[in-house]
Amino acid sequence: MEARASLNLPPPFAEAVSRHEREIMRFLLRMTRDQHDAADLFQETWLRAYRAYPQLDSEQGLRPWLYRIATNLCRNRARDNLRRTRVIANGDDPEADRRHTASASADGGNHDALLHLRRAIAALPGKQGQALMMRKFAGFEYEEIGAALECSAESARANVYQALKKLKAAR
Amino acid sequence: MKEAVKNQELEIRELLGDDGPLGTAGAPSDSAVEAALRTARPKLERALDKVRRPLARIGVINTEIGRLLVAEGPRGLLAVQFLDIGDAPDLLAAMKERFDLVEDQSVAIRIAQEIERYLSGDLHALDRPVDLSLVRSEFQRRALTRLRRTVPPGSVITYQALAAAVGAPAGQRAIGNTMATNPVPLYVPCHRVIRSDGTVGNYGGGVARKLKLLRAEGFSMDRDYRIPAGSVMGHLVTRIFCRPQCHAAMRADKAKSVIFADPARARTAGLRACKLCRPA
Repeated sequence: MEARASLNLPPPFAEAVSRHEREIMRFLLRMTRDQHDAADLFQETWLRAYRAYPQLDSEQGLRPWLYRIATNLCRNRARDNLRRTRVIANGDDPEADRRHTASASADGGNHDALLHLRRAIAALPGKQGQALMMRKFAGFEYEEIGAALECSAESARANVYQALKKLKAAR
Repeated sequence: MKEAVKNQELEIRELLGDDGPLGTAGAPSDSAVEAALRTARPKLERALDKVRRPLARIGVINTEIGRLLVAEGPRGLLAVQFLDIGDAPDLLAAMKERFDLVEDQSVAIRIAQEIERYLSGDLHALDRPVDLSLVRSEFQRRALTRLRRTVPPGSVITYQALAAAVGAPAGQRAIGNTMATNPVPLYVPCHRVIRSDGTVGNYGGGVARKLKLLRAEGFSMDRDYRIPAGSVMGHLVTRIFCRPQCHAAMRADKAKSVIFADPARARTAGLRACKLCRPA
């Protein structure tokens, strides 16, 4: 007890995993809407977190820090997917084609609108996209977003606001 | 399907809403999360197993000689740090890079007990294995290893002699730095290294601690912090000890000599008296 107070170490990594794996998985499933993508990103998020764990200073920063890693990976993945769909528009990638058909099925209009929105989110500039995802998908307070993005709470709020403005304009 | 369409509408509205997190629209169910975790968890464990750092237990404890940070890895004691001296953050950062740290008071308690026993005269209480992987260079590791192996309690060695002993006769400054950054003081007895003029020299934990540790080992420096009058030179290869003025001692290779507080300590360490100078 005494040691914990004076060392202020983050919890052992296994404890960090068991404490946060559920919400990270939920976040990734919601972000990607694809079980395989979510599973990939889940593994990648925790592996990156493990590698960088020595640089994490204390327990307080853990949760926003994990979300920052996950959010970054989501954005990268979304950008890659975007690039892939553009390629499909010209060429033919049967695997991605299947995906596209599956997603465009059934409830046409709304689904396409959602897809469109997600692409717009992926295309947002760095901090805006991250702040928006943390606010919308993970339900963070602006203080927490600020902590994750190393900026003030006001700046986090401004980033979310700017992001929403762009999304509405893109619609 | 109607339901799904409604949910999507809701989600779009929530996504574009000015504030607040998304509601339940588009949220994965608890069972979907659990199902995804069931397959992802073992996969993650396997991936982590390939990159995992070894485990080290770390704790803080108060002892007779001050507040100590203590860490032990699978191969031995990694660190014993006086917390009033101050470079604990550096040491902690270095340990985090190489080990998964777990706070565990039991290690600190065991070490504190060993130190108490040691200070009250059990000179073998600090014989547990040490792991010098936090030491920066191979030279430094060699010097610390040599010191621990060859300079027993009740004796001291000079910076110069230790430098010569590890093959760097001009490296006494480097030895000084090595001792100053020793991550495992007491267990690697850097308090037993003194200056060539016979004065006590510096100590990472403060000179007062150095004197106290030496005294506990039966090596009391005199009032001017110099080696005491009755001390003798012990040759570690011939296993003979001499008065410092003995011709044989002066000719002897300093790199293989240590200084004992008195003849009795030299004998305890298994050396015999020189027949020329006949130390008492």
